Order: sequence, then C-alpha cells, then structure tokens
Amino acid sequence: MEATGRKRQSLLSRIMNPKYIMVYATIGIFLIIYIFGAINYADSGFLTLRTLIISMFTENAYYGISAVGMTMVLITGGIDLSVGAVSSLTGMLIAYGVARMNIHPLVCLAFALVIGVGLGAIMGAAIHYLNVPPFIMTLTGMFLTRGVCSLISRESIEIDNELIDALAGFKIYLKWWNEDGEWAKIKPICYINFNLLLFIIMIIIGTILLQRTRFGRNVYAIGGNEQSAKLMGLPVARTKIIVYAFNGFCSVLAGFAYVLYVKSGWNLALQGGELEVITCAVIGGTLMTGGVGYMIGTLFGVLLKSAIPALITFNGNLLSWWGKIATGALLLLFIFIQRVVVLYSDRKKQE
Amino acid sequence: MKKRSINLSALTRSKITWAVIAELLILLVCFIIRPDFFSISIQPSTGVLYGSLIDIVNRSAEISIIAMGMTLAIALGGTDLSVGALVAVSGAMALKLMRWDVLEYVTPGDYTVKPFWMAILFPLITCTIMGLFNGFLIAKGGMQPFIATLILMVSGRGIAQILTNGKQFTTMYSPFRVIGQGNLGPIPMPIVIMTVVCVLMALFVRKTAFGTFVEAVGVNRSASRLSGISSDAVIMIVYSITGFLSGIAGLIYSSRIMSNDSNNAGINYEMDAILAVVIGGTAMTGGKFSLLGTLIGSIIIRTIVTFVYYFGIVAEATMAFKALIIAVVIVLQSEPVREYFARRSEKRASLKQG
Repeated sequence: MEATGRKRQSLLSRIMNPKYIMVYATIGIFLIIYIFGAINYADSGFLTLRTLIISMFTENAYYGISAVGMTMVLITGGIDLSVGAVSSLTGMLIAYGVARMNIHPLVCLAFALVIGVGLGAIMGAAIHYLNVPPFIMTLTGMFLTRGVCSLISRESIEIDNELIDALAGFKIYLKWWNEDGEWAKIKPICYINFNLLLFIIMIIIGTILLQRTRFGRNVYAIGGNEQSAKLMGLPVARTKIIVYAFNGFCSVLAGFAYVLYVKSGWNLALQGGELEVITCAVIGGTLMTGGVGYMIGTLFGVLLKSAIPALITFNGNLLSWWGKIATGALLLLFIFIQRVVVLYSDRKKQE
Repeated sequence: MKKRSINLSALTRSKITWAVIAELLILLVCFIIRPDFFSISIQPSTGVLYGSLIDIVNRSAEISIIAMGMTLAIALGGTDLSVGALVAVSGAMALKLMRWDVLEYVTPGDYTVKPFWMAILFPLITCTIMGLFNGFLIAKGGMQPFIATLILMVSGRGIAQILTNGKQFTTMYSPFRVIGQGNLGPIPMPIVIMTVVCVLMALFVRKTAFGTFVEAVGVNRSASRLSGISSDAVIMIVYSITGFLSGIAGLIYSSRIMSNDSNNAGINYEMDAILAVVIGGTAMTGGKFSLLGTLIGSIIIRTIVTFVYYFGIVAEATMAFKALIIAVVIVLQSEPVREYFARRSEKRASLKQG
C-alpha cells in the first residue's frame, strides 16, 4: 500500500506548509489589531478590550455559525446568497409557532431544519443538473424565502418561552487566577454564551467533515477543478447537493442563534446578512474561486470582524460607519494577499 | 414550409422570446383581474400621462439605467455588486452639496448652497471614479469581479453615511425636483432620462466596435488580448460606465424623495439589476448580450412589483412573486431545457422533410 513511500513530515514542516498561509495572515492581522488597540489604550485598555472583543464575538456568533456552511460552499467554488433569508425565516417560524400557535420551540426548529435543508438540496440540485449559476439560483432562493417570511407576518413577533429564555440566559464565565492566586471570574467579567458554544461546535464538526472524511476531500477536489473531479469518478452531484443542504442546515442553526439573541422574529431581520457571512469567510482566508479554505480560518475571520467594531467603540470619537469602511479595506487587503500567494505558488509550480 | 419551421426553432431558442412571453402573461393576468389596468389618461392639472403602464415604466427607470451597465459587466463574465451602494453615495453627495452648511442653512427650502451643476456633476464624477476603481481591481489586480465589487458594496454605504455625517438631509430645490418628479411635455422625466440612456448605450455599443470588444473579452479574455483588443481598457471602461449610470440612478432616486437615505437608497438594486439582465437572456458566463432583453427584464421586474401593489398583496411579498417568475425563466433558459426544445423542433423539421 505504501508504494509511494511518502516520508512522514515533521510537525514543524507540516505547520509551516504554505497552504496555511492565508490562515496565518488572518491570525496575524487579528493579533496586530489587538496589540495595536491594547498599546493605544493601555491605561485601562488591555483587559477591557479583551472583554469587548469577546462580547462582540459572542454577538457575532450567529454569523459565524452560518459562515461554517458558507466556507464549505465557497470551497466548492459556489456561493449561497440565501443564508440571511433562511435564518430570518427560521426566526419567523419559531416566533410564529411559539407565540401564535403554542408549539414547542424545538418542534418549530425541526420544521425549520427540514425546510432549510430541503431548500438547500433543491438549490444544489438545480445548480448541478440545470447548470444554473449558483449566484442566480441562490438569489432566487433568497427572494423566495424573504417573500415567504413576509407572507407569514409583517410585524416583528416577540417570543416568550421558558426554553428560549433558558438557552439565551446560559452563560459560562471565563475564569483565571486572580492576584491572590484564586481561581475566579476574570475582570472585567466576560462570558461565553450558548451561541458561541454552538459556533465552536459547528467549527469542530466542519473541520472534521472537511479534513477527515472522504466527503471533505471531494469538496476540495470539486473546488480545485470540477471537470477533473468528474473524470476521476467522484460523486460530484451528490457532494454539491450535500454541501448546499449542509449550508441550509447551518443557516437554520444561525437563525436559531439569532432568535436567542433578539428573542423575536422579524421578516426583515438579517437583511444583507449573507454578505457579512461571505466577508467572514473571505477574511478567514477562503478563496472565492474555490479549492482553498479552512474552518479555523473562518473562526479567526469572525474574530477579526468582531475586533473592528470593538476598537471603534473603544475609540469613542469615530462614527460607527467607519466600521463598514474598515471592513471593506480589510477585504481589499486580504484579496491582495490571496493574489500574491496564488501568483507566488503559480510561479513556483512553473519552476 | 421548411423556412418557417427553422424560424420557429430559432424563436424558441432565442431567450428574449421567453422574456416577452412572461411579460405578456403577467400583463394578461393583470388585465383579467382588472380591465382598467391598461387605461392611460392625461392628468388635466399637469398635462402628464397617467396610468399603471406609465407608472411601471417610470418606476423601472433606476433599475433599467443601472441594468444597461450591468449588462456589459455581465457580458464580460463579471458582475457589479456595488451599484446599490453607489446609488446611496450619489444621493448623499448631491444632497450634501445642496445643503452644504446645514448649521447655517437650517430649514430646507428652494435654494442650493453650492451651484446646481456641482450637485449634479460631482456625484456623477465620484461614482464614475468608484466604478473605475472596481474596474482597476478587476483588470489590473486580476481579482474576481464578485469580490472586487463586494469591497465597495460593503464600504460604499459607510462612505455615504460619512459624507452626510450620518444625517438625513432634505431639500425643496425645484430644479432638483425636476429630475425625478418633473416631466418633458406629457412624459415623466425619469422615462425621458431612461430613454436617452438606453438609446445612447445602444448606439455606443452597436454602432462602434465596443460591443464586439466586450463580447470578445467575455468569451475569452486572453484570446481577445492576443487578437489585439486591450482587454484591460475594455474592462475598466465598462465598470466606469456602470458606476456613472448608478450615479444617474442615485440622482433620480434622491430627487424622487427629495432627500438622501443612505441606509435604504438603492437597497437590493444590484440584485434587481442582475436579475433584469439574466431574465433578458444575457448569460452569467459572459459573451453575447442583449440590451433590449435587459430593458424587457427590468420592466418585468417592475411589473411584478406594481402588480403586487395594485392588488393589495403585502408589499414585501413581492419578493416571493419575483422568485417564482425568475425560477420559471431560469428553468426555461437553462441549457438542458433549451437543448430539449431545440432538439424537438429539429426532429419535427426533419420529420416534415420526410
């Protein structure tokens, strides 16, 4: 079996593998921003900044959950614009079911999962079999889902439910040794909520799916070159459909997380959310042309995206609109790094 | 006999045919539900044409104008996601120039602080430069159009907000009102602007070689470069045009509401414009394009919206209707289905020949 006789690489050379360079760039820029903030606002800044970033991180967790699925879609070379709308629909279904029809929220969630996964699978099938560009197909899905949301209700529906309250109130306080050497809550107090926990679990599931299964290798192969993946006999149709269905699954979970965050359902919630999600994945080092991307990068992408508003809040003098511009600039920076990396590796291949 | 059947198969293969049929079907449904849908009259007080059909064309002006540029961008094999944000920038800039010193000129009135030509010209120039920036990233930076224009889409609204310090300005300046609410003879001004833009674009694209250049670059960029077309220049010109047209649309939009609304101006315009182009039969993969198809596409989209308003359906549910009709058009236009139809009509033709 070991005819190729590939040498087992040392740990260091495996870590230094150039294919991880985008992930390192993300982590590096996050550290630079963090250290910059900590030095600039050093008087009381460092600890407060930490708390601020973690609280922004927990607030952005629902984008992250959706970004797990989006990363996978982007790796296949596709795109999914329907995620924000599907999340919004999930919120609407749960809110309507719980508040108006007295159904258990988990039943509503299960129903939403069926719809989200089903829609994803249908879109994936249409993209593959009808050869419709993913952009157009998922745009249609987005319009359809938003429309259905508005047909359910035009007003925001409040949710008053024990289970939802309990999950929303769930907190794990971060602890560290304080000056007296006691294991205590760190100050200023910061905590991890259910959403962030769910996000981290989804990242782990995504990593295992991508790195440790045959399915994951098919995903990368399709993103690298769909034609040769087909010629190699890989199940392209099945893989693509599963990827879009999995993305639907993630969007529904993201919608659930959003419900826990706002405790209501609204037909226009998360408008433009799909672009936030794509931005998270891209600044996490996922290549839009497909074939390259890691879940851990996406995790840091979300963290990086949370650090910007945290810094702007911290400064206090800047309008919050600068956050949007900073995100745009960050996108530009990352795309440039990606270009350089791609050009560099192309040149290396030619040599 | 033979000639006719060939024409028929060419007709079923043409994508515009399906778009026209779709539009006629929607209008037919409108007519069945409300026979007075087609009535057009002249409002006695202003002398302007008035009626549902006029309203549809009038309200489609912004999308039609943007979609003209979007057609070229898509024919290049790209997209331009930043158009909606540029609409917001253009409106914000125009209002900023007209209400320059808000603290000094507190109440909105029939005046403009900076000269009017500035309030018209500067937004257009800014949007053109932003379009050029997109084109530069795509042509010289070698980026994917989707992601290159995503940058301005994300940060454009931020720029618009910062231009006006996050505030919403209003104005009562009457020459500015003419752009969106005025009229030339009996025809509403947006329709006039839209017609001028469409005609100029059609002349520019079809009477010069530019349209052919665009198609050539869209089909194969390196081949077109080898045959002597400066593909970088073509790309940058196309995205500049798209930016410029978004600027015009932004002026029309902000003139309609006589204020700037950086959060909502042009929201989802990029999606609507892309849909208009796709319904009109231009493929997302690039190559051949049809400006006429795009115009029909954008009118279809507006017809759906008007249809929904007119019959008192929840306004936000428009999207679901849009989606359904788009789904039908997509399926009809998709390769396997068109191949099936083409094969069937060919089979028939060969059967008739015996």
